[in-house]
Amino acid sequence: MAVSKSVIVFHTLLPEFEYFRPKTLQEALELLDKYQGDAKVMAGGTGLLFFMRLRWMQAKYVIDIKGIKELHTIKYEEGKGLTVGATVTLSELFENEIVKNKYPILWDGIRQLADMHIRNRATLVGNLCFGMPSADTAPALLTLKAKLNVVSVNGTRTIELKDFFKGEGKTALKPNEMVTSVFIPEPPEGAKGRYLKFVRTADDGPIMGIAVLVANPRDPAKRIVRIAFSNVVSTPIIIDEVEELFKQDKPLGELAEEAIKLIKSKVTPKSDVRGSRELREHLMEYGTRYLLKTLIEG
Amino acid sequence: MAEKLIPITLKVNGREYKVEVKPNETLLFVLRNKLNIKSVKGSCYRGECGVCTVLLNGKPVKSCLVLAVEADGAEITTLEGLAPFGTLAPIQKAFLEHGAFQCGFCTSGFILTAHWLLTHNPDATEEEIKEAISGLICRCTGYKQIIEAIKAAAKYYKQDKQKQ
Repeated sequence: MAVSKSVIVFHTLLPEFEYFRPKTLQEALELLDKYQGDAKVMAGGTGLLFFMRLRWMQAKYVIDIKGIKELHTIKYEEGKGLTVGATVTLSELFENEIVKNKYPILWDGIRQLADMHIRNRATLVGNLCFGMPSADTAPALLTLKAKLNVVSVNGTRTIELKDFFKGEGKTALKPNEMVTSVFIPEPPEGAKGRYLKFVRTADDGPIMGIAVLVANPRDPAKRIVRIAFSNVVSTPIIIDEVEELFKQDKPLGELAEEAIKLIKSKVTPKSDVRGSRELREHLMEYGTRYLLKTLIEG
Repeated sequence: MAEKLIPITLKVNGREYKVEVKPNETLLFVLRNKLNIKSVKGSCYRGECGVCTVLLNGKPVKSCLVLAVEADGAEITTLEGLAPFGTLAPIQKAFLEHGAFQCGFCTSGFILTAHWLLTHNPDATEEEIKEAISGLICRCTGYKQIIEAIKAAAKYYKQDKQKQ
């Protein structure tokens, strides 16, 4: 889904389009295959209608998937993981006891995403499918190693979330494909996690965000530490090498400083209206150190 | 592209309306311009300010980001639906008593959100109130009076719950 940003023009009306509300997945896929890039899938609509209003996104055909019952499911299998369907709203996940207790890092990301009114409409899958670097649920899902179930008329495939983002507004989805659900594996035993988001004002998008997942910090053999960022480069990003680094049997304080050094050498942050490269570099260092400290000690 | 009109049914404040809408008309547009319900305001038209808040199937949403066709068959509550004509709901009284508005443009959004919060959680803490209204913007009062009004109205909702 390409997003071309131009000057913001104030439109109170949406551009014209044709609206479909298929009842079955097959029907939706056939429409998507017929119209290819001219059609856009809509779940909550808080993203698509926003982008269309600003004319950053064009669609001649809008396919509303809320009528497809099988996409509105939350399924949890003990020991395996959680499957969240494409039309499950963020509010439904936020109120879900399993998400709150088993996936606190994701819950923390959802809590900080937009506001309650938006979360009542917006979906988890939708948050990912726009391919925006600032997606607040993406860092948490990256640390949980989530996978996306993708389907088209030609069949199904699974995409690892870390291979899904292809640049600002771009994803690995082909024009005739759609995501039916996201699978989030059971977190490592004893895992704790937090998402820290830096903003200019409460109603603005993030300057950047950091998700840190920590399990068994005191035991080097079982220790797992994963760190992911939003809005630092053109996609949400996880630093894979951090997990290897923390396997070493060294004092935790030393490892944390090494991890920060490693992150700084791997990531060159962008500069934009929300923050300069220097600011983001500083926040990356500060946020990583703060989260590691609170999660390991607390 | 010739746009065809789609017939939909909306149940607004307990009354059923049958209207024909274009696919690109939002719920906000239809409520204001076709059903003449003017408590629902439009300002930013992109989900930032919350003055267009309505309760869609019981949940507060921003009606500028909902297509009217999506709401086909849904139950919608606007400010007019909180109390019969000529009377005030407890939450409205609390807003009056605490001076929780100046120009009043954002008030319908705040009152509907507060009404939803207190019906579901009459014991809401100050943090929960702030969290609930975080998607709404008021440019006059500075929120203090609004939060006080919501806290004060909570007792009426508690009484209602005990009666049930």
